Amino acid sequence: MNTKILLEHLYIVFFSVVLSILAGLPLGVAAYLWKPARKPILRLSELLQTIPALALLGMVMLVLGAGKTTVITGLLLYSLLPIVHNTYIGLEAIDPGVKRAARGMGMSRWDRLMTVELPLSFPMIFAGIRIAAVTSVGIAVFAASVGGGGLGSVINRGIRTQNIQLILSGTLTLMAMALVLDGLMAWLEHSLKSGRR
Amino acid sequence: MIRFENVTKKYGDDVILDDISFEIEEGEFAVLIGPSGCGKTTTLKSINRLIEPEAGHIHVEGRDIMETNPVALRRKIGYVIQEIGLFPNMTVAENIGVVPKRLKYKKEEIERITRDLLDMVGMSYEEYADKYPSELSGGQQQRIGVLRALAASPPLVLMDEPFGALDPMTREALQDEIIRLHKKLKKTFVFVTHDMDEALKLADKIIFMDQGKIVQMDSPDQILENPASDLIKQFMGKRISGSGSAELTAGDFMKPHPVSVYKGEGIRKSTEIMARRKIDSLLVKNEDNSYAGVVTIRNIRRHGKDAKTIGQIPTTPNAVSHVSEDAMDSFDKLLDSDSDFVVVLNDDRTIAGIVTKTSMARAMADALWGDEA
Repeated sequence: MNTKILLEHLYIVFFSVVLSILAGLPLGVAAYLWKPARKPILRLSELLQTIPALALLGMVMLVLGAGKTTVITGLLLYSLLPIVHNTYIGLEAIDPGVKRAARGMGMSRWDRLMTVELPLSFPMIFAGIRIAAVTSVGIAVFAASVGGGGLGSVINRGIRTQNIQLILSGTLTLMAMALVLDGLMAWLEHSLKSGRR
Repeated sequence: MIRFENVTKKYGDDVILDDISFEIEEGEFAVLIGPSGCGKTTTLKSINRLIEPEAGHIHVEGRDIMETNPVALRRKIGYVIQEIGLFPNMTVAENIGVVPKRLKYKKEEIERITRDLLDMVGMSYEEYADKYPSELSGGQQQRIGVLRALAASPPLVLMDEPFGALDPMTREALQDEIIRLHKKLKKTFVFVTHDMDEALKLADKIIFMDQGKIVQMDSPDQILENPASDLIKQFMGKRISGSGSAELTAGDFMKPHPVSVYKGEGIRKSTEIMARRKIDSLLVKNEDNSYAGVVTIRNIRRHGKDAKTIGQIPTTPNAVSHVSEDAMDSFDKLLDSDSDFVVVLNDDRTIAGIVTKTSMARAMADALWGDEA
């Protein structure tokens, strides 16, 4: 195992989560703002989550071919649920009095969303992103099975050669990575919050 | 200023507003009152288009509001609600500046307005401008709620039970402030409440509604004198449930929760309380909550230098009454003595309230009215 594999793994996680935010945040906002779209968006993101990760990657591979693009696309779809849901729930949970005041004072829809609703639901949205990032570290193991590389390849090799040390070192690295990432995001969340206060 | 013409609003088969028409003059303090579900809040919300009626027309400053863009309309109408609804992610100053900022006021201008407004309710800019709403008490939050509605100097301010969630003392203080602001700013206020005392205290014009219709629209005096229906009588009637004033006691008319301090309270803190509540004398109580006496600002000024606590200041003689004493006797005491109020005590000599000349006026209105009923 070397740094290249480690970085490869992080690269996959990072890009899939960033893309998932770019897709999930607008979807969550759309579910909140536009009632007809609510159920389809929420149900679809739930449905994606019920597909076994390996099967989902396999299906994406049939369309996009083996490689990192497939892994990132698969992980993106898989991370949608926590981000979409938490965005929607966070927006929905804002004090109705605050929403009514914002409307009654003559703030436009976009204005209310950007200056009041999204900032207030930020902790909830960030929690969703955190869940997505940490679970992605584990799921990215399947990347190795569709030609994406990463730490999965180390574990796969360990299983094939029945090398317990190799399996363990891959697993422990993954666990450490998940823990460090979680801690880092907790810290980031905290400092963003105190920065605004 | 505001004109409703045959306005009707329905939710399904429920008629919320039933063909109502009325006018509110410029500079008037109009209070909408009635039982829950009578349509008073719907009426208020249709003025800034938070609710749009099916039929009829509403004119604000001579223009049909349906022809005005709702966002532009609302920026010219102040809005205060019971839930307060300050933005928790913004400071006090940012909250007050929300509408001026959107109307593209200059930064310095917004700061000046914020400073003036905070000053008007006795909150210092230096202390409060950068605080977040969660750091303020409920009363302070609603003061900011009112200032936020006034910030862009709208000619019309709508208030939807703004003090309904506050404790009685804070509510009374804010009512006094809103009367002062109304007199000073000469704006049109439309205020929703279900509390007849509040309506009588604030209104130039009371609009009493029931089941989507206006039952009576009149000055408080007229409503007290000639209530148009049994429901209105009932609404005002808690105080006149007896048959005339003979059976009424001091306890029925006193103002509960007067400002009081313990003997051990410091002089500085005590005068601060007096300044804040705009009163010139203070009820002092012993540590066991029993009544100790009245201390006036004159005596504090005279003896304050040598004293550490309020208990060391000589008290001024003041008329005292008992909750179960006949109201008439208390009023006599008030008129016969030099004091501005009579202290009403409970059986255990704790302070129950005070009877003032306002309480007396209210009692007389009720007595007049009780004869007719």
